[in-house]
Amino acid sequence: MKNTIKNIFAALLVLSLITACNEDFLDVNTDPNNPTSVTLDLALPVAQTYTASSIYGTGARHTNTIGNLYMYNWSQAYGFSWYLEEFQYLVAPSFYEQIWDYQYQNALKQYHVLDVEGEGTTNNYFRAISKIMKSFHFQVLVDMYGDIPYFEALQRGGNITPAFDDAEAVYDDLIVQLTTAIEMINDAGADAINPGNQDVMFGGDMVNWVAFANTLKMRILIRQSGMASKQAYIKEEFAKITSIITEDVAVNPGYINEDGKQNPMWSFYGYDVAGTVTLTNDATCATQYVLDFLTDTNDPRIDYLYERPAGGHLGVEQGYVVDSSFSADNVSNLGPGILKGFDQDAIIFSSSEALFLLAEARVRGYMSGDAKSVYDAAIRESFATLGATQGTYTGDADWNSKSKIEAIITQKWIALNGTNGIESWYEYNRTGFPSGLPVSNQSPQPDRPVRHLYPNSEISANASNVPAQKNAFSNKIFWAN
Amino acid sequence: MVFQVAIAQQTVTGSVSDEEGNLLPGATVVVKGTSSAVTSDFDGNFSVKATTGDILVISFVGFESQEFPVSGSIINAILASSNKLDEVVVTAYGVNRAKNEITYQTERIGGESVSSNSFTSATSALAGKVAGMQINIQSNGVNPSSKIILRGFRSISGGNEALIVIDGAIASKGAFDDLNPIDIESLNVLKGATAAALYGSNASNGAVIVTTKQGNNKSKFTIGASSTFTLEQIAYTPEFQTEYGTGWDGHYDPIENTNWGPRFDGVLRRVGPLFPVGTVLPEGTFATTPDGQPYQVLPYAPVQDHIKDFFETGESLQNTVYFRGGDSTSNIYLSLGNQQTKGIILKDTYNRSTIKLNASKQLGDVKIGINSNLLMDKTSEVGNSIGDQNREFYWFVVNTPANIPLKNYKNWKTDIYASPDGYFNAFYQNPYWAIDTNRSNSKSDRANGNAYIEWEAADWIKLKGQVHYNKFSSFSKNWRAEQDYDPVTQPYHSFVSSFVTDSEQQFMVYGYDFFADIKLDITEDFSMKALVGASSSVYTYRNSSLTAVNLSIPDFYDISNGTGELQGTVDEQTKNTYGYFTDLNIGYQDMLYLNLAGRYDYTSVLPSDENGYFYPSVGLSFILADKNGNSLIPSLESNIINYAKFTVSNSIVYNDSVGIFSINERFFQSSAYPYGSINGFYLGGTAASTDIKKEKLASTEFGLNLGLFDNRITLDASYYITKTSDLLTYVTSSPSSGSSSLLTNVGDLESTGLELTVNAGILESPNFAWDLNVNYSTSETTVEKLAGDTKNVQVSGPVYAVLGEAYPQLRTTSYERDPQGRVIINPNTGNPVIGELKNQGRALPKHIVGLTNVFRFKEFSLSTTLDYRTGHVYYSELADRMEFTGSSVESASSNRQDFVFPNSVVETAPGVYSPNTNIPITDGKMGYWQNHHNEIKENYVRDASAIKVREISFRYDLSKKYLSELGLSKLSLGIVGRNLITWLPEENRFSDPEFNNATTNGVGVGGYQQSPPTRNYGFSINVEF
Repeated sequence: MKNTIKNIFAALLVLSLITACNEDFLDVNTDPNNPTSVTLDLALPVAQTYTASSIYGTGARHTNTIGNLYMYNWSQAYGFSWYLEEFQYLVAPSFYEQIWDYQYQNALKQYHVLDVEGEGTTNNYFRAISKIMKSFHFQVLVDMYGDIPYFEALQRGGNITPAFDDAEAVYDDLIVQLTTAIEMINDAGADAINPGNQDVMFGGDMVNWVAFANTLKMRILIRQSGMASKQAYIKEEFAKITSIITEDVAVNPGYINEDGKQNPMWSFYGYDVAGTVTLTNDATCATQYVLDFLTDTNDPRIDYLYERPAGGHLGVEQGYVVDSSFSADNVSNLGPGILKGFDQDAIIFSSSEALFLLAEARVRGYMSGDAKSVYDAAIRESFATLGATQGTYTGDADWNSKSKIEAIITQKWIALNGTNGIESWYEYNRTGFPSGLPVSNQSPQPDRPVRHLYPNSEISANASNVPAQKNAFSNKIFWAN
Repeated sequence: MVFQVAIAQQTVTGSVSDEEGNLLPGATVVVKGTSSAVTSDFDGNFSVKATTGDILVISFVGFESQEFPVSGSIINAILASSNKLDEVVVTAYGVNRAKNEITYQTERIGGESVSSNSFTSATSALAGKVAGMQINIQSNGVNPSSKIILRGFRSISGGNEALIVIDGAIASKGAFDDLNPIDIESLNVLKGATAAALYGSNASNGAVIVTTKQGNNKSKFTIGASSTFTLEQIAYTPEFQTEYGTGWDGHYDPIENTNWGPRFDGVLRRVGPLFPVGTVLPEGTFATTPDGQPYQVLPYAPVQDHIKDFFETGESLQNTVYFRGGDSTSNIYLSLGNQQTKGIILKDTYNRSTIKLNASKQLGDVKIGINSNLLMDKTSEVGNSIGDQNREFYWFVVNTPANIPLKNYKNWKTDIYASPDGYFNAFYQNPYWAIDTNRSNSKSDRANGNAYIEWEAADWIKLKGQVHYNKFSSFSKNWRAEQDYDPVTQPYHSFVSSFVTDSEQQFMVYGYDFFADIKLDITEDFSMKALVGASSSVYTYRNSSLTAVNLSIPDFYDISNGTGELQGTVDEQTKNTYGYFTDLNIGYQDMLYLNLAGRYDYTSVLPSDENGYFYPSVGLSFILADKNGNSLIPSLESNIINYAKFTVSNSIVYNDSVGIFSINERFFQSSAYPYGSINGFYLGGTAASTDIKKEKLASTEFGLNLGLFDNRITLDASYYITKTSDLLTYVTSSPSSGSSSLLTNVGDLESTGLELTVNAGILESPNFAWDLNVNYSTSETTVEKLAGDTKNVQVSGPVYAVLGEAYPQLRTTSYERDPQGRVIINPNTGNPVIGELKNQGRALPKHIVGLTNVFRFKEFSLSTTLDYRTGHVYYSELADRMEFTGSSVESASSNRQDFVFPNSVVETAPGVYSPNTNIPITDGKMGYWQNHHNEIKENYVRDASAIKVREISFRYDLSKKYLSELGLSKLSLGIVGRNLITWLPEENRFSDPEFNNATTNGVGVGGYQQSPPTRNYGFSINVEF
């Protein structure tokens, strides 16, 4: 018996030593649940759906919402306190800080994953897409905040407190990146991997990507067209632009009618999976000003931008207390041109906008050619995107009565209504058009803000680099001076 | 011839046992005045040569030594245990050491105080009884969960909980909560890292060593039964204003959940929707509009206790049957327990059964044994994903305006006012409806314990090998029924979709420990005890869940019933560790001891070039005075001081507290994907530094233990300093870096503290005794260093680690103040300027005092425990959320009018402030409170001080005389009340500051997701045969 016990002891001792000395015993730290790397094509579509959400909303409000509110397109119905802070222009570090956070931590982070050098030209297409979309997002950030982290940004553990770069320097580098992207696409060899269906914007059609890159360049350059110091530079860069987009650039991975998988605009502003209208849809309505504007110009798009209620179009001016006659059923909520279905495309750059930019380029002499025909084409594209019939409507009245630039910008404001409010706000800051645009009744200042403040999230984690906050109502972004 | 009558030396034999008849092997029998000494054998028998008239001094560790004059040839010694001195300390791996030898501070709790007062979990029994220990409550439902923290926090992202060891083997907090308290023999708290260094990194936060009951060697079989019945009632609800009722922006609104309506005036007003013409409503409860639509009416006046009455009186019945017995070579303890609980929320139930089996058998030099615990339980609770906003249950209860008698809305299936379409609240559903349509049900089982072999190879060395295991698995089903709403009566409710989530979880830890326990006298003056060993442990965890949404068949909650895609996840984790350890204790003449210990650990969670580490500890114990033995300064001994011991120790422990797999950055499948065949993965928001190191804790402790008046009064004091460096923390990175947090080694924390425990037998007479225990502790942890220029690191929500300040620290938005402390207002609006984040105070108490009194009068005993915590603050998230609804007392403080902010100033020129006497705030009827007051989170930080009467228990033990007549060996009846009274400062009227939302280190935020604090009353009876 004792011998057996002693043997058991020996066995236990040996056992513990064996497990101890086994190197493999400790080699169990590889996560079986989540991979440490994925092929670039699996990362790409997520970045693109992030882009769509960064415009239309994630459950929180993003650029399209605040843009439409600033540009007096939207208001709120009776019985809702939906847009209290927006009507008061309560621009503070916490105001819409999700825009900053989401653009950097979701969209830009994910696109940055794609910018990895591979062997030869295998990754050229991914790197090009990465640079193009990063430029898209960085422009949105500069236009909203001015100086932002750019050259040191997105390094994660490598630099958790990136320095802030001069806004104009960022803009210049965006043009460089877009040029590089176009070159990468053109230089790609047979070994270049094409993302195919995983590219949920263009399905792997790289010719369209080149056109999109050029269109973005155009936007960046036109934005600076008010700067005397940049005129020569702008002309030089315009000379390199060979093609622009001819159709709306949209993200659509195949949205379906399930929770979390619907088109973001639809899920936020439209209907839930069961078909019940969302509270945001009921809460959001037109302003009386924009309804009057569209009615006075006999613009058929009114019924597509806004849903005609049984009693006729009715809007609410921002910041006024109204009674129950302005309830959700009585006012003009968002229309079928903006809310088409759970599977609708999430437009990130419309062909209409591209054509308006081209028209302006021609008016300013950066590109040669007739501006009016492009202007008309832009308006036609807007009708097509909304699914509206143009009928006899034209932009001639504006073209003839206002300055050409004012006509272009004013028509662009109508075309971007509901789908790209933020761009109209940037253009308003640049040009002051459309003129006579009312301000919210609760505005603390004579005019709407011209920028946002750096958010708390950045300040608390990067205090030594964040510049002093500028005045949100008077200190314009560099291209507007 | 000299004739000497030599008195013959005879052999005296006998046995040594304790008062209960357990034989004591290894007891020392000394013939007084000689060097003749023997020890009792395994059967407790001894045999020694002595002469009549000699005195045998018989002693055993843990017992009063006694003298027996030799007058015959047989002496059966019965020794009394020395309760007050607690000479035996159970230390690492179940090894016993004498108190004199221990060079660090420990504290012992007898099982009686845990098991006899009818607690359902042992953890709640510990509150207020151990200096330096805090119990933080996570959730207060039918199966509450909590954390045991010793000596404050030492780590920012690592765990700060004490290690639990059960019967010599590492176990988990869950295993401790699953023990039937009746099975606990004693608890020994090893307070600091020094004490627990032998257990490895797991014990850097101290350890609670639990010993469960063993059988006895008396050849007598004891059977006992214990029954406890407890009632639980809600103690208090948050204090809400009772001046204004349902409405919005100053106007009455019959369907609101918010309280911005007009002042209560007692008039009958409409409550809820307008029903269609022709709807039949109960007589006398309604009125009708001019066009015939009926609606409920209620007096517009506050209803007393409208929330408190919603809660039920919970009931809990616990029954345990236990057996204890054995003979000279074996013993067995078996207990079977069952608990049935109904909670304070209707239909919350919890049932569990436990089986404990401890047995051992001595076969010659070898002892084999097993300690095991089995548990099975079943829980049914209301779910926490209620309504279209997926909110927690308690939120629906508190969002009931003060004029609504919530308990009248119970019958939601038959009462039209309580039905989903007829309920008055347009924004939150009826909680009674939620109880029936949202459930979370689970079943779990646990098996934990150890099996061991001990071999006394020689009288100086004992070898022990043990296998320990802790296996837990649970299955849960969480479901929600679908609900559609009539758009006419409920235009604001969105469709609630149905879902069922089926999930299971398994967790297992097993390992081997092997060590040699050596006792050797090197010379006559120097003794040595050593422990040398190795241990290894494997941890695996697996969790899987499947969710189906939009179920087709009502009331059939199975994942086959869903439409759309099934959502599912599987998560697996593994962690392996092993180590070698040694502990050497050298004693000089039993009055001076040196302790050296060291451990070498390997772990799988750190990078392979950093995953092995050595850490040592050293300690000294000076016996300054000891009437019962040798001491260094015998002159100190007097009638007053009978014992004095001074200890000093220092240790270094490393911590592998980085999360499993966390040193790698990973991709995760995006929740929106796949779309058809298009799959998508995103890079996780958490980045990991490439050179992760382990955390290091260096601690030094000084201790003093005094025994006064023959241990009538004992005093234990300790002072400690712990420095943690290379803290592993998730630092919040700036969004522009492309990550939301970074795992890296960031800095240093220093904690210092003082603990004091006094036990006094104030009165001691045969019929009446009064024992007092007072414990006091204070501790402060300061952040000494953070990475780079970082001034603070966010732990979670408003809880931060702030450079130079006490940790954890609350930081919130604040009032801007001038140098004199007056609030600065904006001259355009009259509203206070919203200032940036400011430190608001520490989240863990600065002072904790516990007081326990035990009065004994003949067979009756009364015990009370109360504790006081102060010096800290907490952030009431509930108060913050409820501001929007207008139920805060502050929002009613100005009659809902604009007012001039008291003691405020305006900045008339830079740096110049003049008092504001005439600019009122804007929109005092609602907007100011919702949009402005609510933005200044400083308003919700409250003093977290509290005095609690934790326990009052009254017991009657039938005396021996009556017991033998009844054939019983024990009969006791008890009444106990718990958490009976809580005193909170005026400014904290929300909830118990001990309740915390977070399961991480985010303590200091509370009162939003849990149900309210409760008090318990119970009655118990315990019988033994």
